[in-house]
Amino acid sequence: MQLIIQNLNKTYSNGVQALKDVSLTINQGMFGLLGPNGAGKSSLMRTIATLQEPDSGQIQLGDTDVLKQKDEVRRVLGYLPQEFGVYPKVDAETLLNHLAVLKGITQSSERKEVVKALLQKTNLYDARKKNLGGYSGGMKQRFGIAQALLANPKLIIVDEPTAGLDPAERNRFLNLLSEIGENTIVILSTHIVDDVKELCSDMAIINKGEVLYKGSPQQALANIDGKIWEKRVPKAELEDYRTQYTIISEKLVGGTPVIHIMADTNPGNDFAAVQGDLEDVYFSHIFGQKPAVPVSTFPQTN
Amino acid sequence: MLKEIIRFELDYRKKRPATYLYFGILFLLCFFAVTSKYVVIGGVAGGQIVENSPYNLAFMTVIMTFALTFIVSAIMGVPVLRDFEHHTDSMLFTTPVSKFAYLFGRFFGSFLVAVLVFCAVWMAFILGFAVGKYLPWEPSWAAKEILPFNFWHYIQPFLTLGITSIFIQSALYFAAGTLSRQTIVIYVQGIVLLVLYQIADTMLEDIDNKTLAALLDPFGFRAFQIYTEYWSPAEKNSQMVGLEGVLLWNRLIWVGFAGLVLAGTYWGFSFNVVRTGWRKAKAIVAEKATFRPESVKIPVVQQFLTTGSYLKMLQQQALFYSRMIVRDVPFLGIVIVGLINLIVGAFYFDKMYGTSSYPITANVLGLLNEFDLFFLIIAIFYSGELIWRERSVNFNLIMDALPVPDWVNLVAKFVGLFLIYLGLLLILIVVGMGVQAAHGYFNFELALYFKSLYSSTLFFLVAYTLLAFFVQIMANNKFVGYALMFVFFIVTFTIGAMGVQHPLFMFNSGSLGEYSDMNRYGHFVTRFSWMKLYWFTFVCILFSLSVVFAVRGSEAALRTRLRIGRLRLSRPLVTFALVTIVAFTGTGFYVYYNTNKLNTYQTKEEEEQWAVDYEKTLKKFEHLPQPKIVESNLKVELYPDTRDFTAEGFYWLKNKTEQPITDIHIQEDVPNDVRTDYLRFGSGEAKVKQQWEDYGYTIYQLSRPLAAGDSVRMDFKVNFTTNGFTASGGNTSVVQNGTFINNTYFPSIGYAEAAELGDDDLRRKHQLPEKDRMMEQTDPRGLSQSLFGDDADYIRFQMVVGTEPEQIAIAPGYLEKEWTDQDSLGNNRRYFRYQMDVPMVNFYSIVSARYEVKRDKWVGPDGKPVNLEIYYNKGHEYNLETMLASMKKSLDYFSKNFGPYQYRQLRIMEFPRYGSFAQSFANTVPFSEGIGFIQKISDPEKDLDMPYYVTAHEIGHQWWGHQVPEAGVKGNAMLSETQSQYSALMVMKHSFSPELMQKFLKYEMDKYLQGRAMERKKEQPLVLTAGQGYIHYNKGSVIMYGLQDYIGEDKVNAALRNFLADWQYPGPDSKQKRYPTSRDLLGYFKAQTPDSLQYIITDWFENITLYENKATEATYVKKGEKQYEVTLQFTAEKYVADSAGNEKPVPLATQWVDVGVYAKDKEGKDKLVYLKKHKVTAKDNSVKVTVAELPTKAGVDPINKLIDRHPDDNTKKVNEGSPTT
Repeated sequence: MQLIIQNLNKTYSNGVQALKDVSLTINQGMFGLLGPNGAGKSSLMRTIATLQEPDSGQIQLGDTDVLKQKDEVRRVLGYLPQEFGVYPKVDAETLLNHLAVLKGITQSSERKEVVKALLQKTNLYDARKKNLGGYSGGMKQRFGIAQALLANPKLIIVDEPTAGLDPAERNRFLNLLSEIGENTIVILSTHIVDDVKELCSDMAIINKGEVLYKGSPQQALANIDGKIWEKRVPKAELEDYRTQYTIISEKLVGGTPVIHIMADTNPGNDFAAVQGDLEDVYFSHIFGQKPAVPVSTFPQTN
Repeated sequence: MLKEIIRFELDYRKKRPATYLYFGILFLLCFFAVTSKYVVIGGVAGGQIVENSPYNLAFMTVIMTFALTFIVSAIMGVPVLRDFEHHTDSMLFTTPVSKFAYLFGRFFGSFLVAVLVFCAVWMAFILGFAVGKYLPWEPSWAAKEILPFNFWHYIQPFLTLGITSIFIQSALYFAAGTLSRQTIVIYVQGIVLLVLYQIADTMLEDIDNKTLAALLDPFGFRAFQIYTEYWSPAEKNSQMVGLEGVLLWNRLIWVGFAGLVLAGTYWGFSFNVVRTGWRKAKAIVAEKATFRPESVKIPVVQQFLTTGSYLKMLQQQALFYSRMIVRDVPFLGIVIVGLINLIVGAFYFDKMYGTSSYPITANVLGLLNEFDLFFLIIAIFYSGELIWRERSVNFNLIMDALPVPDWVNLVAKFVGLFLIYLGLLLILIVVGMGVQAAHGYFNFELALYFKSLYSSTLFFLVAYTLLAFFVQIMANNKFVGYALMFVFFIVTFTIGAMGVQHPLFMFNSGSLGEYSDMNRYGHFVTRFSWMKLYWFTFVCILFSLSVVFAVRGSEAALRTRLRIGRLRLSRPLVTFALVTIVAFTGTGFYVYYNTNKLNTYQTKEEEEQWAVDYEKTLKKFEHLPQPKIVESNLKVELYPDTRDFTAEGFYWLKNKTEQPITDIHIQEDVPNDVRTDYLRFGSGEAKVKQQWEDYGYTIYQLSRPLAAGDSVRMDFKVNFTTNGFTASGGNTSVVQNGTFINNTYFPSIGYAEAAELGDDDLRRKHQLPEKDRMMEQTDPRGLSQSLFGDDADYIRFQMVVGTEPEQIAIAPGYLEKEWTDQDSLGNNRRYFRYQMDVPMVNFYSIVSARYEVKRDKWVGPDGKPVNLEIYYNKGHEYNLETMLASMKKSLDYFSKNFGPYQYRQLRIMEFPRYGSFAQSFANTVPFSEGIGFIQKISDPEKDLDMPYYVTAHEIGHQWWGHQVPEAGVKGNAMLSETQSQYSALMVMKHSFSPELMQKFLKYEMDKYLQGRAMERKKEQPLVLTAGQGYIHYNKGSVIMYGLQDYIGEDKVNAALRNFLADWQYPGPDSKQKRYPTSRDLLGYFKAQTPDSLQYIITDWFENITLYENKATEATYVKKGEKQYEVTLQFTAEKYVADSAGNEKPVPLATQWVDVGVYAKDKEGKDKLVYLKKHKVTAKDNSVKVTVAELPTKAGVDPINKLIDRHPDDNTKKVNEGSPTT
């Protein structure tokens, strides 16, 4: 099964264009959607999750027209929105059980089992009798993951799932996703590059509603191989560098700014070549010049 | 700092559109209230009470500052809550603002805003009265002289009553919002305030509770009413309502309470973001993990998405919502407050003169209906809550992505609420039965409870819930949704006032009516069923739309929702929508066919116009000489099951004038839609000269003039046919069990003056001259006709009444024959033939019902037996013995003191509670089931025996009205009603304790004083009472009781006996050639009154006299063993009022007034140890009396025989004083 998105457009009533002609093809396995806040990731994911209407475009999941046959999509969907609340006076087990019924797991023995397993899997089992109102942000997030995994979904959409998780929880969660992702489409949106680096076989970078890059992380890294140059600069000169070069990333190392720029050849001026990582890919697409290889030449997978 | 916070608050509110919206709502409402008839506030003005009188302005101000309490709650509940909701609390609380400055800054800032917003009230009033006359829509006072503008009249009530009310509400809402940090608590609290108001209202059923009720109402509205309750129209037009008496106390108590609440808020408010809860959260221990999450395998499960599993989802969701509501604290709050309201109401059951009714299920159902308001709040509020449930906690995206069909979501929300309703109704039934059991009543009619609550009430809830769902979904903003519901109510109300009153346009119309033990829900069931089907299909259509437009996901724009909605048009939904649309249209047409085609439908305006046109067209015929009915001989066939009847037979008409009569004018009963099948005179040679079908008015021209003294036979047949159902619910006189009609259904002679509009404001509007309620006493036309009209003097009467075999039909006269027969369709019929052997007045009733009969006998002083019969509904046996006892006692007293009873039989027949009165016809007294039959005298020492009293009154009419019908002129009712009242009082006096008599008279006094305060035309002295019940019943009781106290019972009875002897069966054919007036009777009273007391005849009967007696000081000195000398100082004043209530003091001359001294009896109760009349000639008086017991209280007119608006100051505690010489 494959998820094919074609020429999706969406403009909100306040004039913001959230999606600009977005086309993507997503295969089984983990797919990373990388982009800064406000890039249109959530809009795209809500649209796939049947919760939002595009102005134009098509989405096809296998034989199902996602925009029309919403019920068909919901049968196989597991969705974790970016921000969500819970009923504060209900405990986790009750709510998960409730949601399990609504997912169509109507056999109570099966339901009991799956609820228990998911609570254990998300490490909430000890707190299952506790009202959700008393959950920490991380626990709530794990609850959200648990519900998204109910009823063995074929399409899992998780919007910024690692936000608010501590490192250990994040690891556990990513492992869980990778475990499931083997014969399922998992779309993971994030602005944390490492999430994608660690998990995804395929990815897209999206900013201001436009897809800037699509392909595998490896390919992306290959594209910038040998093009990333680094230099430590004194704070006082930083401004000059900003005007002179297109800086794709800028961070402080021991209090001194270290900048990365992208260039096909050695820019000189004491820039040193470094091994680019996915972060550079990300930033280069968002702030920097486009990679030399045009997007369209990437092999299409459909 | 405080000032800055206040300024900040003002600046903030200045920018909020809501502030202007509130101002606008108030302004428009008030503006339209004073300039149009569509919006009414209070409705006390009109007639004598001028619209811009200080009283009415104050009254409207008080109402506006509490009826729109939601505006205060919206302004005052949020100032602190806002910070929590916008999460600015952390930022604010860490600034160096002190708690005091923060809290009180917010409070006073918002309070100032609330006051400014409510200034709309007086501003709108001023503008309204200034420009009202020039507006295209006419205010009711357009043609009337109103008072000159006086700014103080507008602003004074706002300053004294308005601002205090706003302050009190402000403090309470502010506290609720601040301390609970929850919006809903503010609303619940608003409900609590309204309930307090409601309870104050309920308590007023017992007049001893007046002060308490006045103090209990947080809005001061009851206090205002009680403070001004005896104000005459003149006072209302001239006096301002000052802060005095109960009103002042009420304001002080509540403002003080509000102050305490504010202080409490200060102490209770925690300046922290996270509060420590009241209860410690209990630690929840769950088994510890014995697994590694990594090793857990998620099992593969089967997913069922079939109709069966959808139903399972529906059930799951519905129960989930129900549970959520049940656990919601505000919900419990509303329910508990509502139940408290019911339980308080249960103490004041259907009271009459302080005496309750039995808690029969019909009464309890009436009580339970008071919960409807709370139901409405729950339905509207929780509809909004459920529609917004997921979105308010931000869980909606998860829910919306689940494979749950669209309809399941909404249906589950509906079912969730529906289950709540089912449960609440069950609770109500339990409460109802509990109330019954607490009263010691165990005849639980469970089936009736279920039938009533689970049909009418449940449907009402369903209708409003689905409406609220629809509104919430379309509005797509919870608060806009609530506001729209409010607008919906206002619009419904307004279009009703504007003339759109047809049930097809009044949401959820078609009530089941009042339950009668006799007639059950009767014919109302048919209309109810159709109307409810109509509205049910209507809300189902709304529901289909709701499903289509419901928000799922994050799209809120209506256009997008419509686009998504199209995908939801599944075959079942489309089928459902189509079926409901077809059914809705179908029932709509069927209802219209019934109300407008089978029956005539008229709006109030059209009815008004009909009366105007009738008067304008036919008034010219009013005084034409016409023959009189001298005999009525009819066969009335009643068909209770189909609610039809026919009456066929004849009248004999006699020309009692000096001239021949050619034209006979016949009036049909148009209001009751009685049709004439045929009508002919003599052998049928009269022809129709002119006919107005709309008015049911026909002029027949006799072929040969009817010579003076000659008679003509008028044969006719009329029918009353019930077709389908009517818009208003239909006639409640011809019913399935308990028909009660009288001869107004049959043709009458000449112009019917009663059809004219009576209200002067309305008459002015239609350019008709103002009219007096009755003719002057000198009017010869009035003197030649009795109160029963000008159709007849006395008639010979016989009647055959046919009815269903299970029913007994009764008409005046004696039963001559009873038989059964079959009609042409082969149905069994039961017939009764009644004949009266003496002439009687032209006023007869026909009743028919499935009766039980209680019989007894009374033997008169002349040895003639009189059969006593009570026809009652099975189950209503409670007071039969009392009624029989009263019948006997009354017959005893009246025949001994006034003259013999003229008939051989006396019957009382119960009729359904659609009317609550009893009425005397010749030897028959129809008596409503709502009064008397179900009254409960739980403590004979404390409760007035109402059935005893009403029975005595009606039997009194067999003398006063039936033996002496009075002239149809002003003062007439002093002869019939006042004397029946006197007769009953005397029967009661000889059966009841003096305390009970005093209690009865206290109610009568109160009713009189309240009645005159509401008089729209002219208050008349008793001798000129013009259809004014508060005068001829209530004041009449007080005066007649006083008269027999002052001149002696024997003397009054002698006067009445002489009057009766002279005036029995009066009329143009009698020796006096006319009917008597109140002045005639007054002559007999005067003749029995000693010279020294002649003044009371003038003061009490001929003038409107008010006394102001007051004890100023009372002391006693012990003169010896069992000898106490009491010195009482008191003031006595006397006023005479004119018809508007303008009073002027009059010199006392020589008066007699009671002086009384109380001591305590063994049980510690007050008892009179001295009561004697003293002569009074000046305002200040001092009286010394000696009593044998230790005096406790002393006073002037201590048992309040004289009309005095402040009876409480008549007595005073007696203190031991220093011996005086």
